[in-house]
Amino acid sequence: MEPLLELENVTVRGQDGPRLENISLQLWPGERVALLGPSGAGKSTLLAVANGGLAPDRGRLLWNGRPPERSRRLRRRQQAGIGTLWQDLRLIEELTVQQNLNSARLAHWPWPRAWLNLLVPLDTQANLEALARVDLEPQLLARPVAALSGGQRQRVAIARLLRQEASLWLLDEPLASLDPRRSQEVLELLLRFGQAPRAFLLSLHRPDLLKGFDRGIGLRHGHLCFDLPASALQEEHLRELYGGADAAVSHG
Amino acid sequence: MAERSPAPSLLLLLPSLVLVPVAILLPSQVHGGGFDLIGRFLLAAVQPSLEPLVWRSALSGLAITAAMALLGWAASLVGGLLLGLASSCTLWQETTGHRWPAQGLRRLLALPRSIHELLWGLLLLQVLGLRPVVAVAAIAIPYSALVARVVADQLDGLDTSRLEALRCAGVPAPAALLTALGPPLLPSLLSYGGYRLECALRSATLLGVFGLGGLGTELRLTLQSLAFQELWSGLWLLFAAMLLLEQGLALLRRRWLAPRRLSLAAPKLAQGRRLEAGGRELLLLLLALLPLCWVVGRALGVHPADLTTFQPLPPLAAADWRQTLALPWPSLIANTLVLTVLAAALAVGLAPLLLLLLAPWPWAQALLRLAWALARLWPPPLTALLLLFVLQPGLLTAALALGVHNLGILGRLLLESLEEAPSGPHQALLLMGSGPRLSLLYGPFSAVARSYLAYGAYRADVMLRETVVVGLVGATGLGSQLLESLTAFAWDQLLALLVVYAALTLLGEDLSDRLRRRLQGAPGLVASNRPKPLPAAVEASPPSPFPHP
Repeated sequence: MEPLLELENVTVRGQDGPRLENISLQLWPGERVALLGPSGAGKSTLLAVANGGLAPDRGRLLWNGRPPERSRRLRRRQQAGIGTLWQDLRLIEELTVQQNLNSARLAHWPWPRAWLNLLVPLDTQANLEALARVDLEPQLLARPVAALSGGQRQRVAIARLLRQEASLWLLDEPLASLDPRRSQEVLELLLRFGQAPRAFLLSLHRPDLLKGFDRGIGLRHGHLCFDLPASALQEEHLRELYGGADAAVSHG
Repeated sequence: MAERSPAPSLLLLLPSLVLVPVAILLPSQVHGGGFDLIGRFLLAAVQPSLEPLVWRSALSGLAITAAMALLGWAASLVGGLLLGLASSCTLWQETTGHRWPAQGLRRLLALPRSIHELLWGLLLLQVLGLRPVVAVAAIAIPYSALVARVVADQLDGLDTSRLEALRCAGVPAPAALLTALGPPLLPSLLSYGGYRLECALRSATLLGVFGLGGLGTELRLTLQSLAFQELWSGLWLLFAAMLLLEQGLALLRRRWLAPRRLSLAAPKLAQGRRLEAGGRELLLLLLALLPLCWVVGRALGVHPADLTTFQPLPPLAAADWRQTLALPWPSLIANTLVLTVLAAALAVGLAPLLLLLLAPWPWAQALLRLAWALARLWPPPLTALLLLFVLQPGLLTAALALGVHNLGILGRLLLESLEEAPSGPHQALLLMGSGPRLSLLYGPFSAVARSYLAYGAYRADVMLRETVVVGLVGATGLGSQLLESLTAFAWDQLLALLVVYAALTLLGEDLSDRLRRRLQGAPGLVASNRPKPLPAAVEASPPSPFPHP
């Protein structure tokens, strides 16, 4: 079996010093991994490298044991297997929820179908199922995204990930802007989807939400601090990461 | 329900359906010969004439054109500002308590605005004779009315709460107006003023094509004598001048943080601090303009007094209204409208279609940018003459010529607004594995569609006014009939045609205003977090380029 994601000695340089320095890690099917670190540690940069949006200055990136393909067609097929939940969600405001959900299928659709999607509702059944899985009402399907609330938008973005049927999920601070109760709900929702053959890497700046993860990776100033099973994570690791303040592990 | 209406990005491509009838009709318009001429013309682009004599005459032509543009522009700024203040409802309300003088003046100003600068030029040419002041006045008259409308609309569109606060504090009206309305107005007027200078250079070239001197005249003469290499020397020179002007103005805009003159996105407001620093520079620049205009005016031989000395008119025949009435009015009007719609659909639809087709290749986009820049500055009547090498004279030829020119303008606008659209959804689509074309269609196109179409509606109304410019191709409706009556000294016909033309233009303006409001105000599809567009229809700035306090 190959790891779904593998980074080998990845370095990304920034304007003032490296944003990532010599990072190596692997992600296996079925793993739910939390990417921990204070803000500015390089978590978003690492996720951007992992989803192919940012080419590393040094080091290697492998998906399923293969580097990013040179051929455009093969590369697109690779990208279709990698789902990202962006911090700013990146939904298309002017299109309906249905069109947004279907946009995750564009990599697989022939172009007439992609154009038809802008004209008539397509794949309604699959979209309704996706909405139900993220606990959203079916009547949202025909609404433009611009008319949704912040919480609804995030769930739509998660439903879009479901529709993409990606095997690797990269989630950039999905809980950052939520209140404690809502973040618990969303986290439970996400953890529900993290089973083999899927794997996900979720960046998190609050260490108190580690429950339900298999592994934790600590990042500080672009360096890898630790990469341990969740059960082996101790308070001292987190203290090292956050410089002492507000480190509290909650184990299940 | 929103799902019943097609997605905005499809609406964006809808006008390009006009290509179907055009493609069907075009073969019947080809007259067979002339393709070698087009080939020679295109070839000459890369080998322009390098003879010093050619360059000297092109340079002096450019100097004359630029001088006419500068003077006409400066005069229109002064005139427009004064007229704009005089037709502002807010101003009258504050000073006298009545609004009706402003509204009356506004109606009056619609007339000079609705007549294209070319027509003003040709009319003044008949009355005053061939003098440099004719071109300057031809630009200044309609431009003043346009600037006046923008100034008045901006003034009346501003939030008056600050003004009321000052008035309540006992500040006298003039001081209160200047303090409350000046600073928020300045950046948008600056960028609009800069944009008008670009327009003035284009207009001056166009007037030259119709014999009012300068580079335009040279371009037409070289084209008609098939001296393509010399033609391209002049064209590249004009291209360089226009590029320099566009870049220079963009630089000033960035320096003073004024919004882009055509921008569809809401400008980022941060003007306060920098504008004050730029205020001194601006004042210096305006002060430097005064002696510059004086020197240029002297060099060109422009004497304002010339405007009052008429040349003896040829003996006028008695008005023959029966014959005027016998003109084929319905077909004249219908042809004008068909020409406008065809050209507008071509220009509005082709820009996104070309971008979409070329999306996978970034270098092709750079090429497109160059082609559009050339199309912008290349006067439409010259395109028409060029097309006549291979096509028969007629409506389609005229529509192509007008469409190509406006494609250059709309294409740049589309590119700029795409650059300002949020890049997140586009990148997300690409990283989900959608192809470059579909990513562009779903992401950025959705974001800009409505405001771009709204601008297209406005542009269609400009094109209606511009149909006279391609009138020399013949059979283009009111435009060609106007040129014909003008050369035949048929004053009665001319008067009737002008009235009908102006009425049509004003009607078109109203229609495009309505269409624009519908496009921008479509329920449910306009993002609620988008800034509301200004209610006023503004020349070259419709959707929402101006900051709102």
